[in-house]
Amino acid sequence: MKPLPAERLRRRCDPESFAFATTAELEAERETLGQARALDAIELGIGMRREGYNLFAMGPEGLGRHTLVRSRLEAQAGGLATPSDWCYVYNFETPHRPRALRLPAGQAPAFKAAMARLVEDLSAAIVAAFETDEYRNRHQQIEAELAERHDRAVNEMSERAKGEKILLVRTPSGFAFGPLGKDGVMGPEEFSRLSSAEQKRYETLVAGLQKELSDLLHQMPIWRREALRKMRSLDREVTRAAVASLIGELKSEYAGLPQVQAHLAQVQEDTLENAALLRQAKEIELPGIEAPFRRYAVNVIIEHSATRGAPVVHEDNPTHDALVGRIEHLSQMGALLTDFTLIKAGALHRANGGYLVLDALKVLTQPYAWEALKRALRAREIHTRSIGQEIGIVSTVSLEPELIPLDVKVVLVGERRLYYLLHELDPEFAELFKVAADFDEDMPRGPGEDERYARLIAACARAEKLRALDRAACALVIERQSRDAGDAEKLSVRMEALGDLLREADYWAGASGRDVIGAQDVRRAIDAQIARADRVRGRLQEEIVRGTLLIDTEGERVAQVNGLAALQLGDYVFGTPHRITARVRLGAGRVIDIERESQLGGPIHSKGVLILSGYLAGRYAPTRPLSLSASLVFEQSYGGVEGDSASSAELYALLSALAGAPVRQRLAVTGSVNQHGDIQAIGAVNEKVEGFFDLCQARGLKEGQGVIIPEANVKNLMLREDVVAAVEQGRFAVYAVRSVDEGIELLTGVPAQEIHARVESRLSEFADKARAFALAGVKKHAGPRK
Amino acid sequence: MRIRRIVAGFDAGACRRETLQAIAALAAETQAELLGVFIEDTGLLQLARLPFAAEVGYPSAARRSIDLASVERALRARAETLRGALAAALEPAAVEWTFRIVRGDPADTLAAALAEGHAPALLIPPRGKPHAERRVVRQPELTEALLRELIAAARPVLILPG
Repeated sequence: MKPLPAERLRRRCDPESFAFATTAELEAERETLGQARALDAIELGIGMRREGYNLFAMGPEGLGRHTLVRSRLEAQAGGLATPSDWCYVYNFETPHRPRALRLPAGQAPAFKAAMARLVEDLSAAIVAAFETDEYRNRHQQIEAELAERHDRAVNEMSERAKGEKILLVRTPSGFAFGPLGKDGVMGPEEFSRLSSAEQKRYETLVAGLQKELSDLLHQMPIWRREALRKMRSLDREVTRAAVASLIGELKSEYAGLPQVQAHLAQVQEDTLENAALLRQAKEIELPGIEAPFRRYAVNVIIEHSATRGAPVVHEDNPTHDALVGRIEHLSQMGALLTDFTLIKAGALHRANGGYLVLDALKVLTQPYAWEALKRALRAREIHTRSIGQEIGIVSTVSLEPELIPLDVKVVLVGERRLYYLLHELDPEFAELFKVAADFDEDMPRGPGEDERYARLIAACARAEKLRALDRAACALVIERQSRDAGDAEKLSVRMEALGDLLREADYWAGASGRDVIGAQDVRRAIDAQIARADRVRGRLQEEIVRGTLLIDTEGERVAQVNGLAALQLGDYVFGTPHRITARVRLGAGRVIDIERESQLGGPIHSKGVLILSGYLAGRYAPTRPLSLSASLVFEQSYGGVEGDSASSAELYALLSALAGAPVRQRLAVTGSVNQHGDIQAIGAVNEKVEGFFDLCQARGLKEGQGVIIPEANVKNLMLREDVVAAVEQGRFAVYAVRSVDEGIELLTGVPAQEIHARVESRLSEFADKARAFALAGVKKHAGPRK
Repeated sequence: MRIRRIVAGFDAGACRRETLQAIAALAAETQAELLGVFIEDTGLLQLARLPFAAEVGYPSAARRSIDLASVERALRARAETLRGALAAALEPAAVEWTFRIVRGDPADTLAAALAEGHAPALLIPPRGKPHAERRVVRQPELTEALLRELIAAARPVLILPG
């Protein structure tokens, strides 16, 4: 079998096919490449202003989801109406439920300023109104009337008593009655000289007058209340005259806004009710939130004076409070107090009427943020309350601000597994996020796509303000992106990785004093990226070269095959060879997977071994028992094995053991096998081939060394340039096989039919022995008959 | 014509702080010597000795028995409070003033106080308002009967020399 030609190992991008010298000549690619499906979904999601049509942009990190979503949203938002401003004002009926006022876009700051001016003016006007002679005279008049009424009543009582020859006398705490004698109040001596009947008469009269006086004094608080009512009425009258014109001006200014009109009417009514307090506001200097004029303030929680179109808000730290807003408190005399001026807006307020972009993982990992977001979207209202209020653990004085109607399109950006997990675990998710924009990691590399991709590179370099790339560099970047996709027929659209490569190539070009990024700069950037992540791979290879990890790359040995494994550390994947060995003996038809028995093998690996058993039984023992016991192991593997990419290597080791055919150690194998003996595709084929190549190269390349891969993986080959060069020079080979037969022939140099014959013969031998053992066992148990 | 003396009479009844401040302001304005006279009304003391003596509280309207000792105690306390309040009101005025407690008939007591000094003098009877309309009387015309009438009306009286 012939190895693959070099041109099939790496799909070149021919620099000569480009019509430009550097990317500076190229028009930047305006379209987003490879994301047609996601873009269609985004267009639908952002255009559909219906309940539940929120968007989940899913895909792995580094695809440029945030950038793309934001650019589409901004384009759409520019054509939409700018939403209203929102303020919170004092609720005069229920103070702990601040009222939300909607004002046309950009008008809230002016309203706030107007109310601040009104407070200034009110303060001066009310004080002035109460300092007029008119007010003072009328006030004194009311007081004088009250005093006169008291005096008159007491004097009348005094005169009436006098008529009965009894005097009314003031005491330190009230009034007393005494009989009138010759010189004023009768003394006890004079009183004792009176007849007992006369004494009794005086006592009865005094008691009656005391009762009358008591009744009269009970009336006095009522008179005082009447006087106070008159005074309050006077205060209202004076205040009304002072404030009516001031508030009237504002009312006419906001004539078209009924909510504002209603609020101003309540402000006016409140000034009348609290005229006395407002009059003394400046003298008393009540602290903080108890200041009397504070209730007329306006808390602008969201204003759009600088917004053009609908807002697009990206909340990077989507905590519960950052989403729905928060209510702050002031410490006053050791107590935490709050009022409507301490309500602060959240991202939902800022994005209301537009779009809100959130990172799904961050929302889900912030306590109660996800629940708050869903509640807001479901109710289409923003309910600003603290987490403490939500879960009922805070008893500090707090507010219940009026709910603000919500009209927002939320775009969650997250990984696919989050989308599917939410779909599975949260029944509300599907209702609230009806549109999924699934971002692809790669795009087809069809004819003409290299040219388009070059324009994308040009756009990226321009956006990042990097040097232009010459066409060789451009071609190398395209090849690298194809390798990143792990497919010669695809190109990666991981924009972050592309950006990193261009930035680093630009750095190396700058370090070399070049004005244009050349292929050598791109190559250096790629090598440096690999070198930075390469420590573990290097250590593994070093231990193989030093003979600590046993891997042969020449010679032959029965039942021993070089398998290939791919390891991933972070986002760096590399391949490394592993020795796979098999042992066979007479047994009950069981293939023991030592990895599984020692709990180091994953379920897919175990499945591969079971398939292999199926192949053996079906191929060699369809009509009789498979009297074989075999064991398979990844030698010197201590960290667990998963995947079925080594199942063909395991089968080769087993066949070699059964046929007694030595395996060429200069070859390594990857590929999974099915029960029919077909070789199936595996992942990370490039890394695996390069892993074995690197080891051979470290030991010095020798003729005949190479790797056997599945035919189905040839399209994935984008091997490193040095591997391709070695193949061109005949110093390394890559073989593509479709079946076990092709593979075993390459590995042993023995025709497959002969291998199968040897295996069948060996298994037949096992079967015969097994039958003989079985018969001997029966005889022994039966024993001699007497 | 400058007022040379102000005689302010006080009885057992309460006196408002504003009244004291007005008296002090008047004294400061006229730079007149001020005499405060707290009158322990002998009529009240006589009454307190009667076996059925009782008062009706103001503004509580509660009836309670009184006796001489309790009335005397209450009068002393009232006088001390009044002296302190008058001192406080007069502190910024920087005028010459005295305060005395006299037991007797209100008219006799005030007549005696007026007789001690020279006219022109201003008499502010108990419960009188310093800024209320003043009655002007020449000293010889101020008979006992007129004085009792003026005290009952609680009107300030400007007494001019004869």
